[in-house]
Amino acid sequence: MKKVLFKNVLLTAALATLSSAGAATLVFGANGDPVSLESANITDGISILVQRQIYDTLVDFKNGTTDPVPGLATSWKSNANATQWTFNLRRNVRFHDGTPMNADAVIFNLSRWWDKAHPFGFRDQGRTFEIVGELLGGYKGDPTAVIKNIVKVDAYTVRVDLNKSSSVFPNVIGSGYFGIASPTAIRKDGAKYGTPASKAVGTGPFIFQSWRTGDRVVLLPNKLYWGEKAKVDQLVIRSIKDASQRLNELKAGTIDFTNDLTPDALRNIQNDKNLVAVKRPSFNVGFVSLNNRNEFLKNAKVREAISMAINKKEIAEAFWNGLGISNASFVPPVLAWANSTKVPTDYKFDPAAAKKMLADAGYPNGFSIDLWYMPVSRPYFPTPKPIAEAIAADLSAIGVKVNLKTQDWAKYLEDRNKEPGFDMYMIGWTGDYGDPDNFYSAYYGPNASDDINWNPPELQKLLEQGRAATTQAEKAKAYSQIHEITYNAKYRIPMVHSNPLSAARTYLKGWVPSPLGSEAYNTISLVGKK
Amino acid sequence: MGSYLIRRIARTLLVMLGISLLVFVFVRSIPGDPATAMLGERATPQSVAALRTQLGLDKPWFFNPSNPLDAQYPKYLAALAQGDLGSGIKSNIPVRDELGSRFPATAELSLAALFFALIIGLPAGILAALRRNSVWDNLATTISLVGVSMPVFWLGLLLSYFFAVKLGWLPPSARLGNESTLEPITGFYVLDGILRGSPADAWDALRHLILPAIALGSIPLAIIARITRSSLLDVLGQDYVRTARAKGLSQRTITLKHALRNALLPVVTVIGLQAGALLGGAVLTETIFSWPGIGSWVYEAISQRDYPIIQGGVIFAALVVSLTNLLVDLSYASLDPRIQYR
Repeated sequence: MKKVLFKNVLLTAALATLSSAGAATLVFGANGDPVSLESANITDGISILVQRQIYDTLVDFKNGTTDPVPGLATSWKSNANATQWTFNLRRNVRFHDGTPMNADAVIFNLSRWWDKAHPFGFRDQGRTFEIVGELLGGYKGDPTAVIKNIVKVDAYTVRVDLNKSSSVFPNVIGSGYFGIASPTAIRKDGAKYGTPASKAVGTGPFIFQSWRTGDRVVLLPNKLYWGEKAKVDQLVIRSIKDASQRLNELKAGTIDFTNDLTPDALRNIQNDKNLVAVKRPSFNVGFVSLNNRNEFLKNAKVREAISMAINKKEIAEAFWNGLGISNASFVPPVLAWANSTKVPTDYKFDPAAAKKMLADAGYPNGFSIDLWYMPVSRPYFPTPKPIAEAIAADLSAIGVKVNLKTQDWAKYLEDRNKEPGFDMYMIGWTGDYGDPDNFYSAYYGPNASDDINWNPPELQKLLEQGRAATTQAEKAKAYSQIHEITYNAKYRIPMVHSNPLSAARTYLKGWVPSPLGSEAYNTISLVGKK
Repeated sequence: MGSYLIRRIARTLLVMLGISLLVFVFVRSIPGDPATAMLGERATPQSVAALRTQLGLDKPWFFNPSNPLDAQYPKYLAALAQGDLGSGIKSNIPVRDELGSRFPATAELSLAALFFALIIGLPAGILAALRRNSVWDNLATTISLVGVSMPVFWLGLLLSYFFAVKLGWLPPSARLGNESTLEPITGFYVLDGILRGSPADAWDALRHLILPAIALGSIPLAIIARITRSSLLDVLGQDYVRTARAKGLSQRTITLKHALRNALLPVVTVIGLQAGALLGGAVLTETIFSWPGIGSWVYEAISQRDYPIIQGGVIFAALVVSLTNLLVDLSYASLDPRIQYR
C-alpha cells in the first residue's frame, strides 16, 4: 500500500514537472516596442534585441564580452593590409522557412543594405538602412564608403573588398544591426518585410510567431538551430515602457526578467528575495562637451579648471548608485587596453587648484556659462537634470556661474550641431561593436558632430591608423596616442561608464548580459518557475 | 432632422480638412524632424540632410514651382481622400492598420473607464444631492476633489503596486496574460473572448481591464459626481418639483421620474466632453499600463516626429470626438422633447 502511494506521489510529481516544463514560457519586459524586424533598417535597442533572437550575424561575440567568435561565418581572414575580408560560411544551416543559408543569401543581404539601387532595398518605401551610412561610411559609390565590392568566391565563401584598410570590419559586420535574413522571405513580402504584417525569417535560435504592436512579440524555439538550442517552449517579449511598471511586473512575477531599470531601483531589488539584480557590463560613456567657439572655453586653462572642479567620483556614486565608474578614459573599461599609461587613470578633483587655474587664465571672478542637460534618460545619464545641477554646484564653487538649460530631445540634437552650438552640454554614447574606433570616431571622426569646433588633423590621422591597424599592438599604439591628445585637450570630459541595471526572478538561470546591449536568450532556462 | 444630419456631417468633413491642415503645419513647425529623431546621438548635419532627402522631407510643404504635384501637403491630401493615411516613417506600418488595431484598445479602455465613472459617479452625485450637507455629501465631495487632483500616472502606479504586487489580485499591466492565444475579432478583448466561446479569455481580458479603467475613470467619475449633484440640487429647487410634491407624489417618484431626467441633461453634455478628455487622458494611462492604444502610440510618435502617425492619430481622434458630440446632441432630444433640430 505504502509502495503504491509512493509510486503515485512520484508519478504525480513527474507529471507535474512534465506539464510545467511543457509550458515553459520565458517572458521578457522590454522598455518599448520594436520599430521594425528588418535588419540594418533599425537603430533602436529594442528592435536589435528582438532581432537578435531571430537572426544570426556573420560574426558573433563571446557571451558577456566583446570578443568576436564564429557566427554564420565559421572563420574569416583578411589580406595583408586589411582591405579584403573573406568569410567562410557555416554549412547546412537553413533559414526558418527551410531555404538554405549560403553565399548568395549573405550577398543578397549585404547588397540590399549597401547598394541604393538594389531592387529589393525598397528605399522608395522609406527604408533608410541609415546604420550602413553611420558604421560603414556610406553606400555603394559614396566617396566615404568603407565597402567597395562584394564578391562570391564559391557557394560558401564571400569576400568583401574595402576602399580603405579596416581591421575592425568583422566586428562591425557582427554588430546587432546586421542579421542575415532569408532572401526568399524578403522577395515574397516585399516592402512589407519586417512589419507585423510579415514574418521575419532568419536562422537564429527563435522563430517569429506573432507581433502585436505596442503589446508583445511571441517567438518559438528553433528546433533545428545550429548552435545551442533554446531551453524554453515560448519566448514572449512584452513592451512595458514605464520603468516602475517593469519593476512592478517583475515583482508580481508576470515577467521573468527585464532591462533598463533606474539605478534607484537597486535597493528595492536587493530587498526582494525573489529577485536578483543583474549588472550589464559597461559599454558606454556619459560626458560633458566644452565648445571651442565659446570665448572662455577656448582657453585651455579654463577647460582644465572646469575639469578639476567637477567631483566626478561623488556624482557617479550619488546618481548611479554604484552602478558605474568614473575615470579619465573616453572608452569603457573593457577596452582599457586602448588607454595610454601616460594619462592618469582619473581626472584630478581639486577645487582650490581649479580656482587658482581660473585666476591664472584671467578670470579670478569667474564668468557665466550655459550648461545644457538632456531631456531624456539614457543609461549613461539616467537622471540628467539633477546630475547637471550637481555639476553646476561644483562649478559655482570656483566662481563659474552655470545657467542650466534644456529643450526637447530632437531639437537638442539639432541645435548642438548648429553654430554656435551649446557652450557646455551633456551627451553620451553606447557602443555597437567592441573596438575603440566605435567610440572615438563617433565624436572625433570625420563624420562626427560639429559641436566643439575642435578636430585637429593629427587626430584624424591617428583614427585612420587605428582603423587600419592589423595587429593589436599597432592598434593600442594609435588609440593610446588619441587618448593622450583628447585627455590633454579636455574638450570632452568623461563623467561615467555605467552598468545598465537589469533584474531577473531567482529561478531564471543562464542569462549572460552582453556589454553590447543585447544577447540571444537561447542560454536561458527556467528552473522551478511556478 | 435629416437635413440637420447632412449639414452636421458636411461640417464635420470641413472641420477634418481644417484639422488636417493645422496638424500638418503644427508637426512641421516643431523643431527637429524625423531625421534628427531617428539618428539620435549619431546625428551630424550631413547625415541628417541625407536622411531628410531620402524621406522626402526636403520637398516644399504646399507648392513646388518646378513640379506642382510634388509637394508634401497636396500629396498627403490626395492620399487622404482615398483613405490612405500613409505609413509610419520608420516602421513602415500603415497608419490605417495600426489605427484599426489600436483604436479598439483605446475604445475598450475608455468605455470601461466611463462605465466605472458612471456607476460610481451618478449614484454618488444623486446621494450627495438628496442628502445634502450630510456625511454622504461631504464624503462624495471629498472623494471627487481627490479624484480630480490626483495625477493619473501616480494613481495608476499606486493601483498597480497595491493590487498586483502586494495583493496579487490583478495583473499589473497589459491587455492579456502572457500565454493567451486569443485571436481578436472586434479588438474589444472581453467581447472577443465571449465571441470565441472562451470565458477564460474574456475573464483574463476583464481582469486586465479593471485597474487601467479605474485609473482613467477617476477624473470623469469626480466630474460626473459633482455635476450630477449640483444639477439635481438645481432641479429639486424648481417650481415643478414643488408642484409635484404638493400633489402628494412620493420623493422617490419625484426624484426618479421628474427631477433626474432633467438633471441628466448637463451630465450628458459632460460625458460628451469627457470623450475627448478620455482620449487625452489615455496617453498616461496607456503608458503606465502598457495598453497598446492610440494615446501611447501618438505620444511616442510625437517624440519621434513621425509625421504620418501624428497626423493620422490626430485626425482620427478629432473624428471620434466630432462623432461623439453629434451623438450627444442627438440624444438631447430623447431627454428633452423641447429641443428641436433645425
